[in-house]
Amino acid sequence: MTTTTAASAPPTISAPARRRFTVAEYYAMAYAGILSENDRVELLAGDLIVMPPIGDWHAARVNLFTNLLPPRLEGRAIVSIQNPTRLDNASEPQPDVLLLQWRDDFYGSGHPGPADVLLLIEVSDTALDFDRNVKLPLYALAGIPEVWIVNRPSRCIEAYTEPSGNEYATVRYFGPGETVAPQAFPDITLAVDRIIGE
Amino acid sequence: MTTPVASPPAAAVPTRRRFTVAEYYAMADIGILSENDRVELLDGDVIVMPPIGDWHAASVKLFNNTILPSLQGRAIVAVQDPVRLGDDSQPQPDIMLLQWRDDFYRNGHPAPGDVLLLIEVADSSVEFDRTVKLTAYARAEIPELWIVARAERRIEAYTEPAGNEYATVRYFGPGETVAPQAFPDITMAVDRIIGD
Repeated sequence: MTTTTAASAPPTISAPARRRFTVAEYYAMAYAGILSENDRVELLAGDLIVMPPIGDWHAARVNLFTNLLPPRLEGRAIVSIQNPTRLDNASEPQPDVLLLQWRDDFYGSGHPGPADVLLLIEVSDTALDFDRNVKLPLYALAGIPEVWIVNRPSRCIEAYTEPSGNEYATVRYFGPGETVAPQAFPDITLAVDRIIGE
Repeated sequence: MTTPVASPPAAAVPTRRRFTVAEYYAMADIGILSENDRVELLDGDVIVMPPIGDWHAASVKLFNNTILPSLQGRAIVAVQDPVRLGDDSQPQPDIMLLQWRDDFYRNGHPAPGDVLLLIEVADSSVEFDRTVKLTAYARAEIPELWIVARAERRIEAYTEPAGNEYATVRYFGPGETVAPQAFPDITMAVDRIIGD
């Protein structure tokens, strides 16, 4: 007679966890009408995040970049405003501003990935903690080479470079009276006072 | 001339998108979720439940098999079936005693008003059960909740839902018996429920 040993399920199991979604599932929700183009949502580490309404100050900062940068970058970089970048299978944020490698098709055949990004800018008033604690680690992990956070409360620009794991090895602060330039384009200098505004 | 409308002083911060029960079903329809996924909708979050361990499964089977005969015709026993708590919550509790209905709820998942007792068997998920789930059950006014707490070797019986909590909790330990408030005659030995 042979005896079999009952296979025992592992006694300790992990706790309940929120279901995370992939980029493919995120798009499927849009096709199915669960999400619409008008929903201000981004997929971050598998979570669908609803972005708050854009305030006056935030919109003005984005408009400033939208209008100042392209003339000076023509043919060298594409300026992409509040458009998606696909970081990996679980994250597709829509940063306020992206400077992308120039491509004649303007990325018509697929959203830019991290290697296409030269500079990423987030304009932050109320979302400052979220940008620093949730978005920045994802940008670092994806290897985005430079991130600027336009910090309204402190009236400065935080320039993060040298991504290393889920953080940036270097951060520099640019305050009133100073100028700042992307590391990819040292000739494109911008006055911090003009960026920050009132 | 129109007066410019100032944006509200933006107190808003990014928040996680929550889903409705209708959206949860749409996810199943399009294959994002399948019947084999161990998920529940709680406060608009899709929650993945961990695999069911031996002890947990045995406790659920014990309830199912020992309660059922004495309740015949008085209450329906539902095992790991859905209950719709509201527009954004549809959990699948381990055990529910439901108002008897001859159609066995064929025309719609039971609602909170149909639930007489809800039991969660808790080993590794006990914190989740005592916080997220208990709050959802209290808000829905589920009249009685038992948490079978393996670590403490006791049954926690919560009654009198009030807002996000239950006003009363009683603990039943080794050597004691426990009975649903709706069926005081159905007494069970805690030792037997908790097992080894």
